[in-house]
Amino acid sequence: MSKPALRSDPEKLLRQIISRFVAQEITPLARDMDESGKIPKELMRKIAQMRLFGMRYPVKGGGCGGNSTLYCIMSEELARGLLSLAAKVSKQCLMGTEHLYRFGSKEMHEKYFAPAMRGEKIGSFCLTEPEAGGDLGAVATTATKDGDEWVISGMKTWITNAPIADFFTVLCQTDRSKGVRGLNFFFVPRDTPGVRISPRFETLGTRTTDIAEVAFNDCRIPGEYILGEVGKGLKSLLSILADIRSMTAALALGLAKAAYETAFQYAKERQAFGKTINKYQLIQSKIANMATDIWAAELMLYETTRKIDAGLPAGKESMMVKYFATETACRCCDEATRIMGAYAYSMEYPAQRYFRDARFLLYGGGTHEVLQQNIARELKF
Amino acid sequence: MNIAVLVKQVPDTNEIKLDPKTGTLIREGVESIMNPDDRLGLETALMLKDAHGAKVTVISMGPPQAIDVITEAMAMGADGGVLLSDRNFAGADTWATSYTLGKALEKLLAETRLDLVIAGRQAIDGDTAQIGPQVAEHLGWPQVTYVSELKLEDGSLRAWRKLPGGVEEVVCPLPAVVTVLDAPQDPRWAMVDRLLWACGPKSPIRVWDAADIEAPAKSTGLRGSLTQVMQTFSPKSERKTDWIEGTAEEQARHLVNALSQRNLI
Repeated sequence: MSKPALRSDPEKLLRQIISRFVAQEITPLARDMDESGKIPKELMRKIAQMRLFGMRYPVKGGGCGGNSTLYCIMSEELARGLLSLAAKVSKQCLMGTEHLYRFGSKEMHEKYFAPAMRGEKIGSFCLTEPEAGGDLGAVATTATKDGDEWVISGMKTWITNAPIADFFTVLCQTDRSKGVRGLNFFFVPRDTPGVRISPRFETLGTRTTDIAEVAFNDCRIPGEYILGEVGKGLKSLLSILADIRSMTAALALGLAKAAYETAFQYAKERQAFGKTINKYQLIQSKIANMATDIWAAELMLYETTRKIDAGLPAGKESMMVKYFATETACRCCDEATRIMGAYAYSMEYPAQRYFRDARFLLYGGGTHEVLQQNIARELKF
Repeated sequence: MNIAVLVKQVPDTNEIKLDPKTGTLIREGVESIMNPDDRLGLETALMLKDAHGAKVTVISMGPPQAIDVITEAMAMGADGGVLLSDRNFAGADTWATSYTLGKALEKLLAETRLDLVIAGRQAIDGDTAQIGPQVAEHLGWPQVTYVSELKLEDGSLRAWRKLPGGVEEVVCPLPAVVTVLDAPQDPRWAMVDRLLWACGPKSPIRVWDAADIEAPAKSTGLRGSLTQVMQTFSPKSERKTDWIEGTAEEQARHLVNALSQRNLI
């Protein structure tokens, strides 16, 4: 009689391995990376060797064969070490490469997608414009057909990875009369004539995140560089929106846990008035509230990713968890700075970095003001 | 070339806590990991695979959850894995453990040629450094211990042994057993695509019990052990201050002697 196959739980083991990777390779360098704004190439090489960039894609397509749950476990654990690094890796896995993977030709796969999976090329997702963020109907960047080519013109801003990107996935309007139904994504290599990238933005937090403006001045690209069917850009964006929001929630959860653990440890060691401060009820209240919110965010997140993995609609849930987990991260990072007192104000300790970095999460994947409105709409309110 | 690597799952701590009543390890709240020296052994094997081409098979003995160290080893680049798991294996001392591992290696040898067995120098939970040498005795193979670097030559291996007084270079015929305490590079990280493959239905990980390796119950586990643990306890740490006096030179000499006597340098 054959014995049932004994196998490891991939979620548990992946979390353990990435957690150990973060402890050994990221946390010791986090302060230096934050201060210099740079991630060592050697560290990115190790991340690429672990094949993290291919986490979400099928093995046949050059990926690892993972799913939304595994992807979010990765994002969460990386964020415990350094949020900006986690965001860089997570975006490359999803927004930076998704449309190229789905709609790119075989040649584009070989030239761009496969190197992106090896970490040799960086993809960047261009959605936000000076006058259009959550309001997609206001997208002003245009794509005009001219013979066999498309001509891209417009300006994108707050574009993560733009200064280091090798190619861009750009949301453009192809037919203004159709509103959001005229939207489409286009593939624009960085070396396309007419692409201009602004100097890197200086930001409050996530200081290794390379953010800039990208201008497209009559950029001519081949006809096949349209990513998806004409007029289906909004549909393809909506199809990854739940993933984007869950990933943002995972980053928030990882950051919240990092802040919680730092404050927890500090409170057990810091003496005040003859006893460690974890013996004081007001500190206990803060820790209890942080832990409760983190647990709730964790349950919400992985309930949402399991729905995504099962192919079920998770739009509402992903908005709720992005909203809740990010607010949790902001609260936990704030409370950590209060528990740690003046030490949190010192650049020597990571609490200040958590506090600054948390603000980054408020905007990506939808501002909370827009999300709350959309959640209410989903509730038919 | 075929290489077998012996790996052990251990609690992730150098400060082992013991249950004072039972004398056993307290495992609650302590994550299990691949023993660090075994990880170096695996890296050594994978470097040989990179350089010469080899099939690397990892073998571990432990409870079902020890499957995780096999899976991780596969994710790092091992080609096959065998978990030796059976209630009869529980409570084994180093003698019974090396007997069981030896029987598994014999079964592997019946399937394929085996050129080299690599093990970590010692496990962080037992610190005996006996398994590798005992397995070598069981197989009747030569052994090279405390290796920090390893190269293959025609039908033999050249190894550099890290010893307290320096490094010893030795040549040894194959097949052989090697225990390692270092590697020329840090152990590589697991690759996620391989990890998910190793967790899946097509994974070549096998689980062998006592019947599979034809190991009688009287020779394995607690029954097969030659030693019995009478008592385990956490040693109490004490502070003792030595005041060093004299000139700076005398103090330095005194300090070097004191550290050397305690095997600290």
